[in-house]
Amino acid sequence: MTDVTMTVNGQTRSASVPPETTLLQLLREHFNLTGAKLGCDVGDCGACTVIVDGQAVNSCLMLAGQADGRQILTIEGLASRNHLHTIQKTFENSGALQCGFCGPGVLMSAKALLDENLNPSTREIRDALSGNLCRCTGYTKMIEAVQDAARLLREEPRTQITHARTEVTAS
Amino acid sequence: MNEHSRVLERDKLNIAEPPSDVDLRLPVQVPREPYPIETLTPDARQQTRAVGQRATRPDGRLHGLGQTKYIDDLSFPGMLYARIKRAGIASARIKRIDTSAAEAMPGVMAVLTGKEIPTNSFGPTFQDQPVLADPIVRHAGDGVAAVAALTEQIANEALDKIVVEYEPLPAVLDPVAAMREDAPKVHAPDSNIYATKVIRKGDIEKGFAESDHIFEGRYSTQMIEHVSLEPHAAIADWDANGRLTIWATIGRITLARSDIARTLKLPMSRIRIVGTIVGGNFGGKNEISQEPALALLSKKTGRPVKGVFTRGEEFTATTTRHPIIMDYKTGVTKKGRILARQIRLVLDGGAYCSWSATTLGKACILSPGPYKIDNVVAEAFVVYTNKTMTGAMRGFGAPQVCFAYESQMDDIAKALKLDPLEIRMLNAFDEGSSSPTGQVLHSVVVKESLRKAAERFGWEPRS
Amino acid sequence: MKAFGYVMAKDVGHAVALLAEHGAKAKILAGGTDLLVELKHAVHNPEIIVDVSRLAEIKDIAVRDDGLHIGALATHSDIMSSPVIRGMFPALVNAAHSIGAMQTRNLGTLGGNLVTCVPSMDSGPALIALEASVTVASSAGQRRMPLADLFVGPRKTSLKPGDLLVDIVIPKESLDKPAAFEKFGLRKGQALALVNAAAAFFIDKGNFLKPRIALGAVAPTVIRAPKAEAYLGGRKISAEAMAEAGRIAATEAKPISDFRASADYRRDLIAVLVKRALANAQAVATTKQKELVA
Repeated sequence: MTDVTMTVNGQTRSASVPPETTLLQLLREHFNLTGAKLGCDVGDCGACTVIVDGQAVNSCLMLAGQADGRQILTIEGLASRNHLHTIQKTFENSGALQCGFCGPGVLMSAKALLDENLNPSTREIRDALSGNLCRCTGYTKMIEAVQDAARLLREEPRTQITHARTEVTAS
Repeated sequence: MNEHSRVLERDKLNIAEPPSDVDLRLPVQVPREPYPIETLTPDARQQTRAVGQRATRPDGRLHGLGQTKYIDDLSFPGMLYARIKRAGIASARIKRIDTSAAEAMPGVMAVLTGKEIPTNSFGPTFQDQPVLADPIVRHAGDGVAAVAALTEQIANEALDKIVVEYEPLPAVLDPVAAMREDAPKVHAPDSNIYATKVIRKGDIEKGFAESDHIFEGRYSTQMIEHVSLEPHAAIADWDANGRLTIWATIGRITLARSDIARTLKLPMSRIRIVGTIVGGNFGGKNEISQEPALALLSKKTGRPVKGVFTRGEEFTATTTRHPIIMDYKTGVTKKGRILARQIRLVLDGGAYCSWSATTLGKACILSPGPYKIDNVVAEAFVVYTNKTMTGAMRGFGAPQVCFAYESQMDDIAKALKLDPLEIRMLNAFDEGSSSPTGQVLHSVVVKESLRKAAERFGWEPRS
Repeated sequence: MKAFGYVMAKDVGHAVALLAEHGAKAKILAGGTDLLVELKHAVHNPEIIVDVSRLAEIKDIAVRDDGLHIGALATHSDIMSSPVIRGMFPALVNAAHSIGAMQTRNLGTLGGNLVTCVPSMDSGPALIALEASVTVASSAGQRRMPLADLFVGPRKTSLKPGDLLVDIVIPKESLDKPAAFEKFGLRKGQALALVNAAAAFFIDKGNFLKPRIALGAVAPTVIRAPKAEAYLGGRKISAEAMAEAGRIAATEAKPISDFRASADYRRDLIAVLVKRALANAQAVATTKQKELVA
């Protein structure tokens, strides 16, 4: 068994799992965080995207042991205190989530992009979302939603943005 | 990329203080406060203003929060995981299945083969598809045995331990070859042609005789998988009172209930189907697949059983879009007016019918295109082949024939040196035109749509 | 995935000791983007996974006396965001960018991409064109060899059980050599290359100096195009010469036909991509010159 301790959405958690457990399985089956989805299990569809140490990764392609000691942010950690994350708001308003299965992964990719770049071009957005496949909504509304979110986040005072993140990571 | 922000993120790596034992025992609940979920009941007074309004989906909030529960997000105490062994051979007779080694594995709770299924056939039109093949395998994605185990890993390993001996049978993979009398029969002794439709309007011979030019062309399309992001998934729970509850990613739960009742020889009143939120359907989840097998595994073990297809199974063991071989013969005047069109469609129906009959009908009716043609003959056939079954997918055959008739319109326009837009304007339906089946059409805006589209994308004749 | 053991290496010494101990029964886990897929499909059934992903000592990107060192564990994202590489070799940035998608680039490593050794690898051609070499560690010590010697065939390298690729070195002779990478896939993001190509050359009084052309996805491994290189060497730089080099390179490859593209289509692509890579390498040279003047 592999013993792991990591910070998940701001809370430290431990588990003892078989070594072949993926980070996705650890989150879904051991921590009951079912927001990240299993779509293809080989890193093509992006439905399992979570943020590890600030970087978007396919959690189906990471062993639980590799995530030991790291900071994991999942879709469940995006909203806080009766407060939707701006990306969640704009995705909802743009109708960018239809069946919703790809949604959590797309939102995490968008979050990773906007954490680094608050003024992304359409090309940069497309590039950041190229690892997330969607079959219902298509990508136009998602790109709109990311652009709207970027604009809102730029307008919001910087402190408030970091506030939303520390809110989640503190505790 | 901003290296600085990444460094900042990384600096937070260190876990400052070890959390208390009490904290560690809590489930990960973020945030600890409730999520911002409002009751999104539409205001009755607003409803008439829906048209032209920007609407948000009532379930969009939950999707964005990652709180929507799809099948794979549900689990029940004692739940087992099922996997299905796929044949991996296109056409064969099963001589022997040995499941003893799998059954002996620690953690394997039950194994199921086709023989144990009360009525081993289902299908929305013809009941020609087995839940688990017995004894004839008709395509490589056919299931031959199912396993329920404590974990998915054990179930997968058990599949490897099931020994199946096959007697390979001749396979037919080409739909045109499958139509020949001497072709191997997929469902022997029946003909491989399992549904046909013919539409006749006017006098086709006269139409061709009066035409200045006759164009013939063959157009074909490929098989397409729906690839809904959520794979096919279901949970079956056969309780001690003999009541069966199935949570399933199925778009048509009442149809599913009657199909499941039939396969299990169980009264419909004993079956409850819970249609959960479906992570993409597109026609691919309009019928049952593994549900009866899961139900029987649940009955055998007395525990809930979950089954989720792998992405590979999605391609080999679920329905797909029909490949169609489309022969078009069209007679036109010098000016490009269509006088006669003869069409022959051969739909590759795969190993089982599924929604093929519906697709066949729609493809045939729409095959002449949205054009005023007085003389039409359209014949369509759907045939069995030893390939993944084809069924419903967005448009039920309409996109395939659209590809064919519009390609031929372009071919004709090019040959007659006509503008592709003009030849369509010349022939398109008007208000009150009648379709090939004699339906008088209303609210027809083909020409207006074409004109508007041409205007918007700046169409200008290229020649 | 089938059951296996897992051990996290603390440093390179520990890693090679573990690899020596377990030999062929071990598999090395770096980024995992290829390995996990192979494990899920039971391509390998190792008894133990040696996780080297935390070895910070082989993650650095830095210029030293003998050239530019890229640690084998540098991820494709690390390469894309490294100021050193961005300034010196835009070709490597483009190559890294063309691999997978953001999520896989954040996990996948340069070393992993090289040792997985698929013919269509995007990290290979630019490094081959820049005549990179690699350092391999084992319990017997470290050895250096040309990168080209690492590639044996599709998914086959010259590494033995117990070997760990630790470093990729672009020799000092190639530093600041203008280079470009071109790829054609069926989709702009997250697609395997139908063909990829890299070109590098110095400019000597308007002539090609030491031209190097490398091609991917058109032979069992990444290959050079020596005839096209010989044609260009010493020749006046011109669009015609670049196009001709592309045509020559197309005759040197042995592409296969598969479900992605036919061999003929791939040969046509080679001619176009080599021409473009040469033109873009020239553009890189021009930019660099401008920067020098400024």
